[in-house]
Amino acid sequence: MDFHFLFLLCNQIVLVSWLVLIALPRWPLVIATMRNGIILLLSLLYAVLMFVYFFRVEGGGFGSLEAVRALFSSDPVLLGGWVHYLAFDLFVGLWVAARADEIGMSRFLQGPILLLTFMFGPAGLLAFEIMRRSRQVFPPPPEGI
Amino acid sequence: MALLAHFVSADHPRPGVFAQSGSPDLARCVLIFGIGFQIAMLGTSAIAYAFDERLVNAINIWTKPLKFQISLSLHMLTMIWLMPLLSESWLRSRSIRWSATAVAFAAMFETAYIVLQSARGRGSHYIVQTPPEAAGYAAMGVGSVALVLGSFILGFAIWRTGGRAHPGFRLGAILGLTIGSVLTLVTAGILSSGRLIESGRWIAGLKNDASGLPLLGWSTTGGDYRVAHFFSTHIMQALPLLGLTADRLLPSKVRLVVGVGALGSVAVVAATFMQARSGLPFLAW
Repeated sequence: MDFHFLFLLCNQIVLVSWLVLIALPRWPLVIATMRNGIILLLSLLYAVLMFVYFFRVEGGGFGSLEAVRALFSSDPVLLGGWVHYLAFDLFVGLWVAARADEIGMSRFLQGPILLLTFMFGPAGLLAFEIMRRSRQVFPPPPEGI
Repeated sequence: MALLAHFVSADHPRPGVFAQSGSPDLARCVLIFGIGFQIAMLGTSAIAYAFDERLVNAINIWTKPLKFQISLSLHMLTMIWLMPLLSESWLRSRSIRWSATAVAFAAMFETAYIVLQSARGRGSHYIVQTPPEAAGYAAMGVGSVALVLGSFILGFAIWRTGGRAHPGFRLGAILGLTIGSVLTLVTAGILSSGRLIESGRWIAGLKNDASGLPLLGWSTTGGDYRVAHFFSTHIMQALPLLGLTADRLLPSKVRLVVGVGALGSVAVVAATFMQARSGLPFLAW
């Protein structure tokens, strides 16, 4: 299997998905294609890669940085790890978009947050969660000024 | 067919109430979201400040993101604070909604770019050595115009709203937002144009930040245009506060008090500007 080709292919598909999520209207079919199509296909690819290659890695595991580094010395497991990022980051992006639409956050403010989630996943999630909660921190404006 | 319908359902909610209706709370919410973003970046930058040993202009590279996150939060907080002086129709208006969105978005952009540059170990203002950085610096200029345009429009809208309650607070808000925005645009414009000085902010003295005043960073050895920028911008808070105080203590003379305050603050900006221009520090430490 050509892992380099798979890497590029997944990257391209996910890049387009993010651009769509950031810039286009939230058409149900488009959201569903990402949520139930692209993310699940990436998940399937990840699972297959793990089934086939994970336990072949000598000294691989999750228990120490050295064990994780050993995992990433194998191209297919490295690809799997990358696909894991791609799938979960996009899932979080869709979740953020859904919650943001729910509370009526302007698409202009969603843009940078989604971009941040795309590039640096957890940083975007952190920013969004604090933005979302900051509304409860501020009391409603006083009446009758 | 049922399977297809199931596939198409994405559990994505319909846009919320604030997005579609002209809710009077929309502009406020947008600014609150904007502050939330600043706070998230502020927390991250503060921890990075403790761990990152890199320096820019001889001070911690995360100093500048922290200062911007704090002052942009204060700018939006000021707008939220003064917004109740608007009538409901102004609160629902497109101009206020778009002003708030533009301010929150521009503040997000400024912070995002400054944080990115700090993470890359680079400065942000005056850094134009590579094409992307030149574009980033130019975009920050556009963003800063949006920031002061938003507060100016809020001041204008409060003036158009009128009303008799809290006359000092109202007048302070109108004058503070309009004068503060205009003077910020002027001082920051001169600061960034590099027309008067090559190094940007400093005239004479040591051209680094290590010898600056604590927190503010203003030069203690030479002129520094950031002083005038600081006083211009904080007119937006000073005059409403002065007006509130006058409403309490001197209700018969609020116009006089706020008017004198406005003239005085313009004088302070002019004086600190001239001081920097002559190469003198605001405070010699």
